[in-house]
Amino acid sequence: MTDVSKALSLFRSELVIVNVGPKSFADVLEKQGYRTLQVDWKPAAGGDKKMQEMLEYLGGY
Amino acid sequence: MTVPEKVAEANKKVIDIMTKARPVWVDVRPAIEVVPGMDKDLILIPGPPIEPKDLPIPLKTAVCGAACHDGLAKNVDEAWEMVLAGKIRIAPSQDYNCGNAASSVMSPSMPVFVVEDKTSGGKGFCVPHPGSNPRVLRWGIYGDDVEENLRFIRGDYAQVLGEAVRASGGIDLIRVLSRTAGMGDENHNRQPAASMALALELVPRLLDVDHPARDKVIKEIAANDRFFLHVMMAGVEAIMSSAKKVPYSTVMVGMGGNGIEFGIQTAATGNRWYTTKAPLISGIFLKPTTTEKDLLGYLGDSCVTEVWGLGGMSAIAGPAYLRMTGGTFKDAKERTEKARMVSLGEHNFAPVPWDDYRGFPVGVDIRKVVGLNILPISHGGSALKTGGQAGAGAAELPMDVFRKAVEGVYEEVKRLEVEA
Repeated sequence: MTDVSKALSLFRSELVIVNVGPKSFADVLEKQGYRTLQVDWKPAAGGDKKMQEMLEYLGGY
Repeated sequence: MTVPEKVAEANKKVIDIMTKARPVWVDVRPAIEVVPGMDKDLILIPGPPIEPKDLPIPLKTAVCGAACHDGLAKNVDEAWEMVLAGKIRIAPSQDYNCGNAASSVMSPSMPVFVVEDKTSGGKGFCVPHPGSNPRVLRWGIYGDDVEENLRFIRGDYAQVLGEAVRASGGIDLIRVLSRTAGMGDENHNRQPAASMALALELVPRLLDVDHPARDKVIKEIAANDRFFLHVMMAGVEAIMSSAKKVPYSTVMVGMGGNGIEFGIQTAATGNRWYTTKAPLISGIFLKPTTTEKDLLGYLGDSCVTEVWGLGGMSAIAGPAYLRMTGGTFKDAKERTEKARMVSLGEHNFAPVPWDDYRGFPVGVDIRKVVGLNILPISHGGSALKTGGQAGAGAAELPMDVFRKAVEGVYEEVKRLEVEA
């Protein structure tokens, strides 16, 4: 039988939400009392497709 | 070889040039004698190209003052007319392997430090730092007293210093910097340790010079804790003159501001500038009455030190500078960490004891800056719009110049690939 105790203990422990993306998502959760961890991530070249293609041509980064 | 392989190989070559460099200060000579391309009607200015009519007040004053100093014009008004008419030309210093800090300019008769990179063979040049007097051409101020000091520097000062440097057989700047390990300097805006280590090499040679102004020159140098900066700028330019000859490389090899625009250069495209509006330097002001409205945009080439891994790049080596300009030890650490994330090399000459003995990050890859959205930070002194120093601090380098640089290098590499 599968041991689910580890999975269950996860649900019983404090929830820490890892937020990848706009900080405002985490802000809303924090206002509701949840702990969040913000990952400092931004899309490559600010999401500029043309710039991403040029970077790729030059070997990436 | 594929394009990415060629870029990787070129970048390795540039990082080797930067990290294996051995800049040695060999001479002090009039610019017209030693700077390739220098001409008797040419005045070199900091930052990217600019139309004469657009020169900000401090640079206009410095250019006209230098023209009078060189006898190109009888007075500053005549000099300005000649500049506007193109009879006196202006050009970016870094296009001539020179650096001009703050509002400094280089005219043909001015003495320059000559530094040779013994590894790559490149040569770079910079005028001497004029000392702590606030009334200097370096901050866009000109008058009889400034002219008198310029004549002293061109005359006795250059003769005595030149003789001492030549007699030394060359002063190795890596050896000087190695001695400063753990002494708390970031070597752009704070360099008493390097200036003292340089004096250790220089003063005994100066004492051997037989000249009536010898003691006055020793006093000037010994009392100037920023003396090393301009020697190092010549050293950086010596190194970058070689780095600029490496096609396909995406490494930044030049940057500076003229108060209006700020620009960078890359190895792949040499002296081509990528520019945008000059950012402001935020930090402290010398006078409580100064406000941000009084500030000119980034002015000067002294940030070539950052191009070679000093200043803001190695902020963790000089946390006291951050303390002075409103930052913290954590900020210093963060600045260097940011620089590491966008740099391809690391210096080994002055490891930082409180940073796990790591060296200064060097060689900013424009691809990483744009791709990762991480902007390196440069330290710098800020200038007043009307002339004079406002204060000191730091500026985040503008993303726009890096995006333009990626586009420029991309076009250049495409062109080379079609030709191949």
